[in-house]
Amino acid sequence: MAKKAKPTPYIVPEELRALEKSVIEARLPNGLRIRLLPNNGVPTASYYTFFNVGSRNERPGITGISHLFEHMMFNGAKKYGPGEFDAALESNGGSSNAYTSTDLTVYYEDFMAEALPLVVDLEADRMRSLSVTPKLLTSERQVVLEERRLRVDNEIGGLLDEELGSLVWKAHPYRWPVIGWQKDIEAITREDCLAYFRTYYAPNNAIVYVSGDFDPKEALALIKKQYGGIKPGPAAPTVLDAEPKQKGERRAMVRHPAQAPSLLVAWRGPNAAHEDTLVLDVLQYALAVGQSSRLVKSLVYEQEVAVAVSVDWTWRIDPGAFMVAMELKPGADPKVAEAALYKELEKVVAEGLSDAELEKTFNNLAVHNVRELATNSGRAHSLGTAETMLGSWRAGLTIASRWEAVKSADVQRAAKLYLAPEARNVVTLEPMPEAQA
Amino acid sequence: VKRTKASPAAAPLRPLHVPEATRVSLSNGLGLVLVRRAQLPLVTARVMARSGSVTEPAGKSGLADFTGRLLRRGAAGESGEALSEQIDRLGASLGGSASEDALGISVGGRARHFDKLIDLLGKVVLRPDFPDSEVELARRRLLAQLKNDLDEPGTLAEKAFTRSVYGGHPYGREVVGTMATLSAFKRGELAEFHQRMLGPKVSELYVVGDIDPDAAARRLEAVFGRWSGGPSAPVDVPTFAALGKPGEVVIVDKPEQTQVQMRIGAYGLPRGQPDHFATALVSSALGGGFTSRLVTEVRVKRGLSYGVSGHFEWMKYGGAFVVSSFTRTEEINTLIDVSLGEVEKMRAKGPTAKELASSQRYLSGLYPSRVETNDGLANAMSEVSLYGLPSDWIQRFRDRVMAVTLDEAKQAARAHLPAAEPSARTIVLVGNAAELQKRVAKYGKVSVIKPADLE
Repeated sequence: MAKKAKPTPYIVPEELRALEKSVIEARLPNGLRIRLLPNNGVPTASYYTFFNVGSRNERPGITGISHLFEHMMFNGAKKYGPGEFDAALESNGGSSNAYTSTDLTVYYEDFMAEALPLVVDLEADRMRSLSVTPKLLTSERQVVLEERRLRVDNEIGGLLDEELGSLVWKAHPYRWPVIGWQKDIEAITREDCLAYFRTYYAPNNAIVYVSGDFDPKEALALIKKQYGGIKPGPAAPTVLDAEPKQKGERRAMVRHPAQAPSLLVAWRGPNAAHEDTLVLDVLQYALAVGQSSRLVKSLVYEQEVAVAVSVDWTWRIDPGAFMVAMELKPGADPKVAEAALYKELEKVVAEGLSDAELEKTFNNLAVHNVRELATNSGRAHSLGTAETMLGSWRAGLTIASRWEAVKSADVQRAAKLYLAPEARNVVTLEPMPEAQA
Repeated sequence: VKRTKASPAAAPLRPLHVPEATRVSLSNGLGLVLVRRAQLPLVTARVMARSGSVTEPAGKSGLADFTGRLLRRGAAGESGEALSEQIDRLGASLGGSASEDALGISVGGRARHFDKLIDLLGKVVLRPDFPDSEVELARRRLLAQLKNDLDEPGTLAEKAFTRSVYGGHPYGREVVGTMATLSAFKRGELAEFHQRMLGPKVSELYVVGDIDPDAAARRLEAVFGRWSGGPSAPVDVPTFAALGKPGEVVIVDKPEQTQVQMRIGAYGLPRGQPDHFATALVSSALGGGFTSRLVTEVRVKRGLSYGVSGHFEWMKYGGAFVVSSFTRTEEINTLIDVSLGEVEKMRAKGPTAKELASSQRYLSGLYPSRVETNDGLANAMSEVSLYGLPSDWIQRFRDRVMAVTLDEAKQAARAHLPAAEPSARTIVLVGNAAELQKRVAKYGKVSVIKPADLE
């Protein structure tokens, strides 16, 4: 069913106008996009670099390279050698970290405002001239394998997530875990890393966000000076979404020592830029955010078929997954919980959401959105995510008005379209006595 | 002496502007602390009660936290469902939970809903009903969650650590309780704990956000002015005096694990001692940032683990020092040996001048973000009061960090890091006991327990 165009213009709410006006945008000739968000609330700043690359840009054989590479970005470049990145940053009042998702690799520093020139120098240095030495690659590979043991092999949630990915997607790279398959992590070569760096770590594939206590003119001049000489790279290869339509429910079982069974159910949704993404945001909140949300109220408090329930609807560049996770009681029958979940979803399709539920949902979404904008780091992260996922940082400021435009009928339609029984993917954890492990 | 360029620590810091607080004392003894911060139209209100898990009667672990969590599930004659509906309708968050030293009940939302938020907070703090059906439901749910916790190696390590370090002191209790204590709570015990242990004379109320302090104070007086009950002064708690299981190694057996969780614990010190900042800097140089000695030796040089930290747990009546990490089973000896070796080196000689300067800048740089949000500032202010810290603690935190001398840092390292003798430490491991037992016998008397022993 086609959706009528919405004539309502997207509005930046009064409380965020000052932030909107403060944003300074620039683009260097090499393609690097820069966004400055000056704010002198506290004498600190945050520096984010978003690279448009994640596990969706990988292929079988090198799964996990995006994440392994993220680690290698801290292991030395031309000016700041191994260990010198963090030594320089920390001794100047800053700390750094990074994360890799299916779609993005994001590096950030939080620091004493005085350290901005150093941070620009550090980031430009590793974008210009990262070095990947065999010795450090070997050591970092061990660190990543340990991270995998922590998050996947010895963590039930990680085991189930990994199983779910390859159930939901048959063709798209979203089917493998961001951290990668163990054998691939072990096999990735230095040459793979270097090719990866040349392709995806070029300035034209990145956006820099700086937020905090600094003079925007000086900051811009500094960034231009440090990054200006970095050569642009070729356009990154496009990722083909070859995912076929799902033609029936898919189920998988994980047997592992555990106290209780648990359940993950997921459906493929739209891509982030699709307008239905915001409808599913609303549905996610109506279902599982707050003690009076539908699934929490019904499954946890009224029927007591789950100990906890959560919904994850993460925006992705290609169609992502709308996922419900349920923690059950020891001895519980997962079929009962599953049936209760489907009944609640059927109710949404049949009756939609009440006005009170919509109001609740809009308020929660808006407050959570504004709350993230309370810190230097949050402002850079929120607007950067909006730009990379929704197409512009301004979309991050107008989003509340777009959520508020969602009607009950939109939610019904989206629930029916995306959360259909024949499009379900179900992973069940079957507890196994420890002795059999 | 080779002179390099001046240490970066020499440069003065840009000022941290902490907005001024208005302090009001209500006739029932409740202290109000109000801060106007209008950057965003949000507000946070937090009741901090000196009614943490240390104030629980013996054998009642979990009572404070369980009481805190149940406050919003029925109050002033309104059902938990009705209250949740009102809270969610405002896009607000409201909840209570305990730590060892305090029970905190917070509400956050839009500043224009201030009156409604305070009415809700007042209802759950002053007039909770603890309906039987809600208590039983929460109990069933929490029992299941505690059972499910036995699947998480990190959680098991923390539970075993709490017991091995704090032993019979109230800090050795689980804040969330155990399956045995939760099963045993009788009807009425929550209401009794609320009536007896929570009250205006052992609490303060912090409000931070886009408010007019005078108007807010009037509203708070109207709602909280009639709060009564609770003790007239904070209850006495003994000082944590000695390590629970000195020289011992406890293995929590999880045979399916391919990775071992490790905690090394030692006797520490309470928050806010005269050498607090020197100790914090030693801890940062040893196991704080990414350039700390432990991260360098364990992760960067040897690839033994994804994460390692060495830090102090600072509480009101005592504290501990802990090294926390994990590695693949076959590398456990390297991990323990490297960790113990780095602690001993730091204890014996303290940080270098360069490490101290770096740590000073590092801690000073990160501090302002701790008070950047309304919640963060309310928390920081409530800690100043709870731990009896100087009133200019937040404002001068960075100055005090920068003022620590190398001698002070060395003294703090010697005074507060554990000595090399096995009796100065206790070790907890979670993993495959059959694989671990022989490997770790050299560190002390080994005992093997099951996850279910920690439920």
